[in-house]
Amino acid sequence: MMRARGFKRGGVPVNQRVPFQTGPIENAFLPMNAVVLLKDTFTAVEPFPVVHVGQEVREGQLLAKSAGRGSSNVHSPIPGIVRRIDSVKTPGGFDSKAVLVSLEGSFSVLGKRPERYLWKSLNKADISHIVQEKGIVCVSNGEPLFEMIADRSSKPGFVMVISALETDPYRRTEEELLALRPEDVIDGCAIAARMALPARILLAVDEHIDATTVDRLRDIIVSSELDVSIQAFKRRFPQEMPRQIADALDIDDAGSLFVLEPSTLIALHEAVVANKPHIEQYVYIGGGSIKRPAILKARIGAPIGDLIEECGGFSGTPDTIVIGGPFRGRSAADLDASVTRTTRAVLALTAEETRSAPERPCVRCGDCVEICPEGLDPYSMLKLLRVGRNEEAGAIGLDRCTSCGVCAYACRSRIPLVRYFDDARRNEVRR
Amino acid sequence: MKIPGGGASSYPPYIHDWKTSAMASWICSLTLLPVVVWSTVLYGRAAAQVWAVALASSIVSEAIASGLSRRWTLGDGSAVLTGLLVATAMPPGVPLYVPAISAAFAVLIVKAAFGGLGANWMNPALAGVAFAYANWPAAMREYVLPRAVSGVDGVSAATPMAFAKGLASIDQGRVMDALRGASYPLSSMDSSVTGLLNDSIFSKLGARLPDGYVDLAIGFKPGTLGESALLAVLAGSIVLVCLRLIKPLIPAAMLVVFAILARAFGTGLPGEVFFGGDVLFALSSGSVMLTAFYMAADPVSSPVGRLPSLVYGAAIGALCFAFRRWGSFSEGVAYAVLVMNVIAPFMERTVAGLGARGRTREP
Ligand code: SF4
Ligand code: SF4
Repeated sequence: MMRARGFKRGGVPVNQRVPFQTGPIENAFLPMNAVVLLKDTFTAVEPFPVVHVGQEVREGQLLAKSAGRGSSNVHSPIPGIVRRIDSVKTPGGFDSKAVLVSLEGSFSVLGKRPERYLWKSLNKADISHIVQEKGIVCVSNGEPLFEMIADRSSKPGFVMVISALETDPYRRTEEELLALRPEDVIDGCAIAARMALPARILLAVDEHIDATTVDRLRDIIVSSELDVSIQAFKRRFPQEMPRQIADALDIDDAGSLFVLEPSTLIALHEAVVANKPHIEQYVYIGGGSIKRPAILKARIGAPIGDLIEECGGFSGTPDTIVIGGPFRGRSAADLDASVTRTTRAVLALTAEETRSAPERPCVRCGDCVEICPEGLDPYSMLKLLRVGRNEEAGAIGLDRCTSCGVCAYACRSRIPLVRYFDDARRNEVRR
Repeated sequence: MKIPGGGASSYPPYIHDWKTSAMASWICSLTLLPVVVWSTVLYGRAAAQVWAVALASSIVSEAIASGLSRRWTLGDGSAVLTGLLVATAMPPGVPLYVPAISAAFAVLIVKAAFGGLGANWMNPALAGVAFAYANWPAAMREYVLPRAVSGVDGVSAATPMAFAKGLASIDQGRVMDALRGASYPLSSMDSSVTGLLNDSIFSKLGARLPDGYVDLAIGFKPGTLGESALLAVLAGSIVLVCLRLIKPLIPAAMLVVFAILARAFGTGLPGEVFFGGDVLFALSSGSVMLTAFYMAADPVSSPVGRLPSLVYGAAIGALCFAFRRWGSFSEGVAYAVLVMNVIAPFMERTVAGLGARGRTREP
């Protein structure tokens, strides 16, 4: 079809994707106990809990209220009783308050088919209020969506990118959502566009997307009266990072892109049209150790172990369980870790997939330099960091490193380059 | 709920490229297997003994070094590779203590004493070879004719390059014709293959391949174990480049510069004319190919980055030409690389520094 674009330097090309059976997306079972983390990411600001232990909550009832900028409302994913509110260690390594809700009672809001609300009659402020109220966050970075949109609309002239580009060779969620729920994605896109007022909208899809999906999307776009162009991208990681998208589009300033993914748009669409808070998340369960990989529509707070069970459990012994993508996710210490609004995948990887090996000294192969999509020199950055010359490391590129992870993917000595880089920057912040 | 396997690595990324530095060493070693086999076919037991001794010595040395540093490093394959590479530079008639001591020197002194894999200030194998040249210059010239040419084992002979250097004059730089004129041994294999090539291909192009090149390619000539298996070395090099185990820019730059200089100024043979040097002859003698792909392109002792790699490779090519043209040819290649090994860290800093400064100016 169209000419596929790709970012210019380095990256991991993936010709062979992990096979995946497509089909309708199943709803995961409701968890018996939902541990709802109030903080999705390290940088998020924790909201205030508004429930107390022993309180009965409805499905979708507010559990915690936004504490201002960087913080979002959190709702109960299930009907039940609040059993505990205390601090837990998240897989991301930071502490967060968590509300434990035990399932009790019956469905109220979400069991029924929602009525279609005609949002076109609403004004900008009303929509923004709903998005804030329902605690919708951008699933790729965990920021409150209404804030992102408000920030954008104050600086016009940007390109809104609906990115169905995946984060890794496993996950297929965004593509599937685009194929299975194109109307909702485009409708979500229309809502976002109404609020943010982008100069133009671009739908970024994988170069191997099937033609019928594209045709269908084209039809829907035409009838939506939105100005959306579809652009194919070469499959190479980290293709989904805003800087690489900008690079592929020959746009110098990645800041002039507003990247949203279909799963975020669906959450947005459901909040506005069906009055639904952000209590569900599309999670890809896969990896070589999962019996039947699938995309599940899971409730936040559900333990990842339950979702793995639903996919038939493990086949063989997993080497590592990863929450999020294999390039930038975090390993789970146990299977009780719960789904959050930014949990996009849970991967149980076999040893053949992780290909981990003992760390050895740098053999100066230069592979990390060749593969860095930012054109940086991770080899020299590492060398400088190891002798404590952090400032020079910053000057030669550490400041521009996106922690995309592909240098450490390529390192034949299995040096955790990104850990060095992240640690150095964390110390910088602390000082 | 606990994870069955326990949860291995703690920091992303959790997937990796198939390459590991240990695997790279092992694959490199494997690509030398055809060289081992071919040289053994050519020289029989003499060759097999050299390989075995060098290998055993490097493995024992690595085990000793591991014991001393309490870090078990034999698995990373670099000792085996070093042993094999030391052996490639040995002539088949060499006394066995030469490969034994050289390999031990390479592994124990050059590699281990300077901090093991990754910290090498020069390529251990090459350092071992240079050590041998320096200590036993005569023994390192114990060349013999392969039995396929002479019919019996162990007939001493000079290498074509050494022989050509000793000739009174070479007409028009036609080395091969001059060698034939001085009745340098030629295998029957060469005559028939060359004849076949000339009849089928070259005659149609209006050209003629002189006798002798086929002998150079298949090793029917006196030479070191490595250079006698030129075709096997080339095949191995292709594997290394395709799997991206080495930095391809280095051998590319080195060979191009070397070939141009050798063409222009000759290789120090008598009677050479300007731009009349025999490039094919220059490239196929004295382990140029093996050194280019297996030693010069060795990641550890070469600089990182495209520009530094190019400069480094080109400098080796130039040095290699200079050493051969005005010095002694067989060790010239080795010394060229060693000199650049030592310079590499400084070069990386300056050349890469220039490049980086250019880059940071971008927004
Ligand atoms: S993590 Fe940083 S240094 Fe490594 S490849 Fe990505 S941008 Fe380059
Ligand atoms: S990829 Fe690893 S071993 Fe190779 S130069 Fe970079 S840090 Fe060193």
